[in-house]
Amino acid sequence: MIWLNVIVSGVLLGGFYALFACGLSLMFGVMKIINLAHGDMAVVAGYTAVFLVPKFHLPEVWSFLVVVPIFALLGYVVQRTLLQKSIDRDPFTTLLVTFGLSVVIENLLLEIYTANAQSINIGSLIAKSWQVNNTIYVSYLSLTVLIVSVVVLAALQLFLSKTSTGRQIRAVSDDREAAQLCGTNYRHIFGVASSLAFATVALAGIAFGMYTSLSPTAGGVNLLFAFETVVIGGIGSLWGTLIGGILLGIAQQFGAHFNEQYTVLAGNVLFLLVLAIRPQGLFGKKVVMS
Amino acid sequence: MGIEESSGTGSQERTIPGWGSVEFGRRLGLKAVAGTALVGGMAALAEASASAAALKSGTIKIGYVTPSTGSLADFAGPDKFVLSLVRSASQFAKGITIGKTKYKIEVTVKNSQSDPSIASTVTTELIQQTGVDLIVTSSAPETTIPVSVVCEGAGVPCLSTVCPWEAWWGGFTGNSIGAAGNAVGAPPEYCTMFFFGVPEFVECFLPMWNRVLKTTSANQVYAGMFPNDSDGNAFRAAWPPTLSAINSAEGGTPWTFVDGGAYTDLATDYTAMIELFKAGSGGKSCDFFINCPLPPDFNTFWKQASQQDWNPKLATVAKVMLFPTDVYALGDLSNNVATDCWFSPNAPYKSSLTGMTASTFAANYQKVTGQQWVQSMGSTYSLFEVIVEAFKKVKDPHDRKAVANALKEVSYDGICGPLNFSAKTNPAKGVGIIKPVGIQWKPGSTELVGHKKFAWSPWVVDNTLNKHIPLQATLEPTNA
Repeated sequence: MIWLNVIVSGVLLGGFYALFACGLSLMFGVMKIINLAHGDMAVVAGYTAVFLVPKFHLPEVWSFLVVVPIFALLGYVVQRTLLQKSIDRDPFTTLLVTFGLSVVIENLLLEIYTANAQSINIGSLIAKSWQVNNTIYVSYLSLTVLIVSVVVLAALQLFLSKTSTGRQIRAVSDDREAAQLCGTNYRHIFGVASSLAFATVALAGIAFGMYTSLSPTAGGVNLLFAFETVVIGGIGSLWGTLIGGILLGIAQQFGAHFNEQYTVLAGNVLFLLVLAIRPQGLFGKKVVMS
Repeated sequence: MGIEESSGTGSQERTIPGWGSVEFGRRLGLKAVAGTALVGGMAALAEASASAAALKSGTIKIGYVTPSTGSLADFAGPDKFVLSLVRSASQFAKGITIGKTKYKIEVTVKNSQSDPSIASTVTTELIQQTGVDLIVTSSAPETTIPVSVVCEGAGVPCLSTVCPWEAWWGGFTGNSIGAAGNAVGAPPEYCTMFFFGVPEFVECFLPMWNRVLKTTSANQVYAGMFPNDSDGNAFRAAWPPTLSAINSAEGGTPWTFVDGGAYTDLATDYTAMIELFKAGSGGKSCDFFINCPLPPDFNTFWKQASQQDWNPKLATVAKVMLFPTDVYALGDLSNNVATDCWFSPNAPYKSSLTGMTASTFAANYQKVTGQQWVQSMGSTYSLFEVIVEAFKKVKDPHDRKAVANALKEVSYDGICGPLNFSAKTNPAKGVGIIKPVGIQWKPGSTELVGHKKFAWSPWVVDNTLNKHIPLQATLEPTNA
């Protein structure tokens, strides 16, 4: 029964990691952008929910209705202005630009909102859980985040495989020049992909702000877990991201079960094992380096 | 009982094993810094500062190092308001007369950005460029230790606060904390401080535990959430032995400790730890809770504890929930969480500078800034009270040695209550102890200071350690 609890809490934690990592996976898979500001963008989404949403007289639980569209738009704009310019140069520039973005975001938040902790308050809902048996409690929040994460990944998968824009995204991701020859405006397609990625970051940021309290520098810690999730699952595979998140969550809970101090270590060991045995990730395509 | 017993010979019951291994200062690398980089520059620094001092005889220059930005910025929230009050007090606005000379007092503020290395840099700037006669500093070992170490090396008097004295003491080369929780080594020549330490935390929280134990059918088992960082490891080493020593000296039945494990700061999930606390010890789940986490970690943990249905009868937290921001971020789950309080507006204390009462002080803060009072306003204000007391005792305020010695002799009544730097009960000369009271966060009321109702306010619920401060509410279990 104890082991069942380890798995249940690991899966729930994994849902959050997958939601957090899905935008990162999308941006890297399509545009080869390693977005170092990913965590900070999630924090900005959380701050938007805390400070902007009350102005719409909306309960904070529903904040995603406002924040997600804003972030989708922001994603398109940021891609077409800032990120595209750096992609046009070389891959290292995008790395530096997103790193710079991360520093700017953290300091702007600090300047405007101070170092005070902020949390997205969902009232008594935060304390509610579903008691399975004597030892297993499933919190409504974690369960919701897991469901949201599965729905988001399924919807993205459908979008990429069934729609024309989705197919173009995959085409650009596979071979940009060939797609261009077939008449695809890859800059617009990149904008759409980035818009989707930002929308999922917004969801992740809101979930993060409900789980814990946010501060301007809170983004960095989860960025590491998001990277591990993407690498374990395999780059370019959305279902891989979900499985990667869940495996990372279970590994961490497994470590924590022996001693809290092994939590992060157990996750890192899994990450290293995957890198050593299957470097392309569990569901990644094997890429021949040219 | 009392801390004075800890250094006595007949105090076997107060022996605190584990303290010997705790060296707070080392984590900041300060000993290494002091030992290598600073020593060479120190002589030059002291010379430069001495010559600077000679040039400005009519003015006393004070430096104040504080974390205005960064993770410790909450502590520095009231700085602006407190400094404006201090500067308008006649001793600062008109100057003080020492001997037959009238001296103006100037205060220069420097931001440590919550970073130990920036704290030492700005302290050096204050000494070399501003030519200060004395430095005051506040808020956490990350600020007070580097500032004190630089001042000690340069021979500039320094006064610190809001830092457990054990951490501050261990920051000086050659000093450590003994097995009985006593100060080992010589007091620094130029540096002094006032605040409290681990024994006061225990003496503040244990009476609350005992009271809740009597009124509820709680198990005498407590949970400790101590992270794998220097504060966490120090608490894990010091809290259980100090608690059992003080408890057995009072004749109490023994407490059982359940360690949640040395988790990594900023962890996302605490399910395994909460399971340990629910399992407790000997078939009894943990009903009491002590911790010293980072604020976001307590936020995550406390939400998950409630989801997982672990509801300790009383939570007494350290290092978090000191200020309203943590409480508002946690919302309704803050109700009846208890912590320590070193300045309270309902205390019968008055400013030694102007006679302003503690309640006027807090009420004016709320009126001027529009924000809820915070307890660090009292300790920051007292820094400036203490230095005026010290200057009253010297013949020449530019005589660094004399000022430093005068600081160690200060004994006065101020906004944080009676404070005596040379009391025999102090852990060491120049380390003044203020006595905290226990508070619980409850919904605010117009009865409280300034007649302004805030969503959450700290209410004094236990004054065992400091009877001067009246109770404001009854101690209630955190979870019934």
